[in-house]
Amino acid sequence: MNKEQQETQAYFIPDTIQLTSFTTREFESKQGKLILKSPTLSGKDIQFITDTIKANQKNYLDRLQTTEVIDIVDAAVQKWLDPDYHLRKFAEKWLPVITGYDAEMIRLELKRFLRTFRKQELLRFLVEEFDDPAVLDDFRPRKKGGLSKAYGPNLILHFFSGNVPGLPVWNLVMGLLIKSGQLGKTSSSEPLMPVLFAKSLEEVNPELAKTLAVLPWKGGEEQLEQPAIKAAEAVVAYGSSDSVENIRKRVPAHKRFLSYGHKISFAMVGQEALTVDRYRASIHRVAEDVSVYDQQGCVSPQIIYVEQGGSVSPREFAQLLAKEMDHYNHKKPRGPLLENEALAIQSFRSQYEFQMESSVYGHPADTSWTVVYHSEPGFEPSPLNRAVHVFSCTHLEQVYPKLTAFCQYLQTVGVAVRPNRLFKLSEDLGKAGVSRVCSVGKMAQAPAGWHHDGEFNLLNLIRWTDIETSAERHAEHYDEDSE
Amino acid sequence: MDLKGKIALVTGASRGIGAEIAKAFGEEGAFVIVNYLQNEEKAETVVDHIKNQGGESIALQADVTDEKSVQDLVAKVVDSFGAIDVVVNNALPSYTFNPKTRKAAWAMKWEDYQKQIEGSIGGAFHVCKAVMPYMKEQNSGRIINLLTNLIDLPLVPYHDYTTAKAGLLGYSRNLAADLGPFGITVNCVAPGLTYPTDSSMETKEDVREEIARLTPMGKVASPEDITGSVLFFASDWASFVTGQCIRVDGGLVMK
Repeated sequence: MNKEQQETQAYFIPDTIQLTSFTTREFESKQGKLILKSPTLSGKDIQFITDTIKANQKNYLDRLQTTEVIDIVDAAVQKWLDPDYHLRKFAEKWLPVITGYDAEMIRLELKRFLRTFRKQELLRFLVEEFDDPAVLDDFRPRKKGGLSKAYGPNLILHFFSGNVPGLPVWNLVMGLLIKSGQLGKTSSSEPLMPVLFAKSLEEVNPELAKTLAVLPWKGGEEQLEQPAIKAAEAVVAYGSSDSVENIRKRVPAHKRFLSYGHKISFAMVGQEALTVDRYRASIHRVAEDVSVYDQQGCVSPQIIYVEQGGSVSPREFAQLLAKEMDHYNHKKPRGPLLENEALAIQSFRSQYEFQMESSVYGHPADTSWTVVYHSEPGFEPSPLNRAVHVFSCTHLEQVYPKLTAFCQYLQTVGVAVRPNRLFKLSEDLGKAGVSRVCSVGKMAQAPAGWHHDGEFNLLNLIRWTDIETSAERHAEHYDEDSE
Repeated sequence: MDLKGKIALVTGASRGIGAEIAKAFGEEGAFVIVNYLQNEEKAETVVDHIKNQGGESIALQADVTDEKSVQDLVAKVVDSFGAIDVVVNNALPSYTFNPKTRKAAWAMKWEDYQKQIEGSIGGAFHVCKAVMPYMKEQNSGRIINLLTNLIDLPLVPYHDYTTAKAGLLGYSRNLAADLGPFGITVNCVAPGLTYPTDSSMETKEDVREEIARLTPMGKVASPEDITGSVLFFASDWASFVTGQCIRVDGGLVMK
């Protein structure tokens, strides 16, 4: 096979700015070599870039109607939905090499993910948070009198996540909808996708793209982050609890700060989903949830609670889940692990191997999948990379007391229960701190407009200006033509 | 083929086809449990044969039509050897294959069928039921059930025997459907007339010659002809084959 060498920029800046000094990172695969070119940045560069973005935001983006922004984003997303689009092909070729994820999995999930940013989804997303999205364009009347307008930050500084490819696209789109200039710092584990998406926006509308910059630097570099934080009106940070905390400390109190730190998700399978005609589908769905993106997303379940009384017992559920995860691994093999990650799975297995109340089902030759069965409910995170706990419970309701200590970490719960249990269950899960209840099999596919970690997305970034009724009325006094 | 270290249970293995299957597993390196009902001496002969060939084997008595007896047998196997990888349901209720003395359809009694169903399907059922929890736990297992090609071509209509074996085929396919997700395969081997065995002793020369004449391969099966297909289903080569039935009859039945 012909080995090819490709070089690409691992950054995106307004095209009026020239950077002069670069470093490279190389990735080798069977298909060839990818050279990622990154700028060597100084604090001054950051300042210049943010100044430029803010000016462009003021002179261009801020003057667009929200519907115009939506059309531009939609046009860029439509490009990505074409399998022959050159940047999509580039991403499908190199993201697996950069991230280690299975190519087929990336192809499928990226496509699914980008579909959530088409025009109709973006409109829905806006309506989800604003009764009248036109408040982003103009002062709009309020029911109780007066008028209000919403302003997005002139510059958002993002600290992008790197665990799931493409996730930063969501942040960029969110910023665009509220007409903010944006600077995104990429994670070294996935530095490519936000750059490619910015390029697509540039193809559609070069002026809009001048309000964006995507840059890689090592997290914590004070001389770059200090001017970036200073320039930004809002900061959005993804990462481990430590790195998020580290950023929070440096953001002045008057600036908006949104953070998405460490979360734990789990699934609950009721006995009604384990009837003899349903259990295989239920197990298939759970295996998808556990396996997709090698369990790296915060929405991936680390624990499955399985209710007794179905036609398969929780233990049989664990056995079948193991086999189903094996099948998934044949289709979409797990990515390679670092030594410490593999060791974590091995010690996870050995921790439970000889306990009476637990059983370990794992790939006999490697760590590619592991299911640990427990005869009593508990709550324990897994070492990820397709390792999961299955806890047997007599009733799903037995689980709540186990959750209390983890309230702040709980996020998504995938459920398979009958309708008349769903509300009660969700009510109790909500009380326990859970922010999202979805079907098993859909845990990895959060819809546009979800309350990410239980919060609004756009509303938390914008600020409001109200024109009160008194001002309206009072203004009438000064109408020279007034009778 | 490598069956080294595999724990294989062959029911009704003191004589005939069962004994040959047990020996074949022994030769391929499996640890063979030679199950028998009455004939301890013959079972021990099979065990000795395997050991003399450098293999490992043990004879264990159990009546496959007795649920408790089978459960004890399987528990003993797993307790002693830590696993059960392959089960060959070969045992059948005593039956004499004599074309001259067989019962015609109008002479059959319901009890005749019941006895064969109890023995053929019931025996396999008890064994399968007993090994299932262990095989599920291992996330792997091979079940191989012995049938007859008479279910396709009743050259000599042994009504009760053949009907029960046909039922066993249905049982096996349904079992395959439910056990597949656990990584357990269930397959069948359907021999043609196999001679010499104790059961087929009374099938005389004329019938054997007639069958040989109709058979593309030109002869009736001998017990060692049957073993290859059984080993195949137990091997990694058949890891993705389940719910199938191979006729081992020299091409007499083609399906």
